[in-house]
Amino acid sequence: MTDAADLADRLAEVVGPRGVLRRPGELFVYRNDGLPGYSKQPRLAVFPRTRDELVAVVRVLADQGVPFVPRGAGTGLSGGALADDVVLVGLNRLTRILSIDPVERVAVVEPGVVNVALTRAATPYGLHYAPDPSSQAACTIGGNVAENAGGPHCLKYGVTLNHVRALTAILPDGEIVRLGSADGEVEGYDLLGAFIGSEGCFGIALDVTVRLSPNPQAIRTLLADFTSVDAAARATSEIIASGIVPAALEMMDGATIRAVEASIYAAGYPVDAEAILLIELDGLEAGLEADVARVDGMCLAAGARTVRVARDDAERARLWQGRKKAFGAMGRISSHLVVQDAVIPRTRLPDVLAVIREIADRQRITVCNVFHAGDGNLHPNIGYDANDPDEQARVHAAMREIMAACVAAGGTISGEHGIGLDKLDYMSLIFSEDSLAAMCRLRDVFDPHHRANPGKVVPVHSCREWHGAPKAAWTA
Amino acid sequence: MTVPASAAASPAVAQDASASTTPSPLRPSSAADVREIVADAIAHKAPLRIVGRGTWLDAGRPVEVIRQVSLEGLTGIVDYTPGDLTLTARAGTTLDEIAHATAAHRQWLALAPWGGDDGSLGATAATATAGPMSGALGTPRDIVIGIEAVAGSGELVRGGGRVVKNVAGFDLTRLMIGAWGTLGILTEVSVRLRALPEQEATLALRLPNAPASLAEFVTRLRSAPIAPLGMEMLSSGLAARLAVGQEHIVIVRLAGNADAVAAQRAAFGALGDVLDVRDSAWTDLRTTEPAEATVVRFSSTVARFPEVWLAAHRLAAAGDGHVHASVLRSSARVVLPHHDGSPTEGALELLRSAGRDTRIFERLPAALWPTLAPSRAVDRLSRGVRAAFDPHRLLNPGILGETLA
Repeated sequence: MTDAADLADRLAEVVGPRGVLRRPGELFVYRNDGLPGYSKQPRLAVFPRTRDELVAVVRVLADQGVPFVPRGAGTGLSGGALADDVVLVGLNRLTRILSIDPVERVAVVEPGVVNVALTRAATPYGLHYAPDPSSQAACTIGGNVAENAGGPHCLKYGVTLNHVRALTAILPDGEIVRLGSADGEVEGYDLLGAFIGSEGCFGIALDVTVRLSPNPQAIRTLLADFTSVDAAARATSEIIASGIVPAALEMMDGATIRAVEASIYAAGYPVDAEAILLIELDGLEAGLEADVARVDGMCLAAGARTVRVARDDAERARLWQGRKKAFGAMGRISSHLVVQDAVIPRTRLPDVLAVIREIADRQRITVCNVFHAGDGNLHPNIGYDANDPDEQARVHAAMREIMAACVAAGGTISGEHGIGLDKLDYMSLIFSEDSLAAMCRLRDVFDPHHRANPGKVVPVHSCREWHGAPKAAWTA
Repeated sequence: MTVPASAAASPAVAQDASASTTPSPLRPSSAADVREIVADAIAHKAPLRIVGRGTWLDAGRPVEVIRQVSLEGLTGIVDYTPGDLTLTARAGTTLDEIAHATAAHRQWLALAPWGGDDGSLGATAATATAGPMSGALGTPRDIVIGIEAVAGSGELVRGGGRVVKNVAGFDLTRLMIGAWGTLGILTEVSVRLRALPEQEATLALRLPNAPASLAEFVTRLRSAPIAPLGMEMLSSGLAARLAVGQEHIVIVRLAGNADAVAAQRAAFGALGDVLDVRDSAWTDLRTTEPAEATVVRFSSTVARFPEVWLAAHRLAAAGDGHVHASVLRSSARVVLPHHDGSPTEGALELLRSAGRDTRIFERLPAALWPTLAPSRAVDRLSRGVRAAFDPHRLLNPGILGETLA
């Protein structure tokens, strides 16, 4: 049994009294992450300011055997950073960029560094950090590592996994380990690869060595507008099959376009379109125009009304702003929102999008699609009113049907948002009990007592030696 | 399927673990067969050596086991929809077969590992073998999107899937890649493909001889406005063997549409007197190694790369071997032919006294592994991972240099 007040006092000795939140009112703001619909109240929240404080905090928690949830900026979309009556470890104060080496093209950062802040710091060297989740203005590198975050430009440049060279982590028992190497290849098991995307269940990164990418010599951003989602989906499949690898290939449907255009993020999208594609081509200047012409031709052949190319950086930034803030703009449509993250084979886009439309009609719900079409990474957004139990039930049924359709098409249940709490129930759609049990055993290697982010990623019943996610045992 | 029933029934295999004769390998033709083999191995506590197609058996540390599992019969492309640019094949499928199938749709699997295309997809993934394109196009870690394997525990497990982006569950795929079969026997592998470039060209340029000019030259190579698929420095002997030059040279593989290739050709040409070289030089480079050789790879930082190249040269010279180095990955690879089963004494001397470079041995005489290449998979997490997936230590025991309890 742990006395919460005693533990708070011990943590306050490490981080100072202002670094620990213990009153329910103070903790209320940490009840949610980026996905409305789940609320879990932490028992305590602790905010270390330095690496040493973070190490000491984890060791106090280990000493007391208390479960905890690491949290970056809380922008995640799977409920992964919610702490249900356990301790929340906030990493958003560890914001130092420790080094940038323009020759080696690497940076070493603390976990709380905001994604876009790193790119901003690398800009003077003509470099950038490639993974660019839509929340990049707020989300942290530590959170990106935990989720193996993607973003529009990972179509060409790869996800977080492809851009992290090494990291130092503290395991839940307080041991500090170095995974990967910034100086070259390492032999042996790819523990770095296993850690990335482990959703905070394997430990906390103390520092992360990331690869920085040279800025492309030239960029062209195209906006193609269509009178049907089907035509835009066919254009996408055509472009991917042609072998051209756009830096990004994003789709937004009519409902999303109109929500964005009605918001402060209005980007100049055609409001009478039923779908747009935002296509970015980059690389060497030479040869780029030829690719632009081919993509333009494929869009027109698929039925695009117009294809226009952003004239300058300002227009390109505006087109991207509309896309990246689309989730926020949907707040105009309804009070609550669920978003899915399934990935399907790219050739299946037209038929799966048609199935989703059919499900939405039948369940009488509103689905907005804004997603990474080039990867086949769908983000059907369903707006609803949480105070309407009937609508909530229909939303829930529709989500299950959509997920099943994506899996039946050969897809997976999450491309970049993670499993968290939100997709736990779907894990058995794609993984056998044996595979889930193997994942549990992998977690046991890093965290034998399941104290880090308990109850997430793998359904508890799949962990054969475990019965129930551990809860903190607080004294009254 | 010829086994495991027959193997289980064979007293020499099943009961006498000290038997010195090696029976013919087990040849599963399905994942179910592999499961039976592993179940049988568990029942008889008889470790397995997984040999893929057996094309490169001296790679990795020696494994002493009675039963070999050949995946030569576990072949075939399971799923290939060209428009998705993904492909799933059984582990024993040769890279040749995949190249043939994908070329018909002007696509390719950009692994191109050292050793050529007669090896299997499964072995390439299991050993994380890369090649001269990996600096630009990625290693198996980047290219493999999903696996199916029979773990040493006997369970059939899957990681990842058949789509290009996937974060569902803990990453069993990355864990199995480069694990040398010690966590599970891969039965199926899914990969992402690329379109073949519209055009390509391979060009060669002489390297400066003076070490000081070399560093500056490498910096110019790295900052040139080109986006090569490969950029490999070759020692003179290797250049001669490949018939692409007589001196130390760098070869680049340029690709793209006609405009892109023309512009890159001009940009590369600005660095010196450029010669056109046949594209097949890249395949030759991958397959030119002697059957009996020690191969060691030095990975380094950008800053130390010229120095590592020179050190690799001294090693190659002492061992009558050759060296090639990836400018994009800052890594050098030395091939030392064997005389009487071993590299020259001079080369061994250098290897014994070698400094802090990150070096990875690919091939080495059996007796030299323990002294020259102590295992790095000995930390608590690595041992835990092994125990979690291969609790009975049945899969390729010793191949990572781990101590056998």
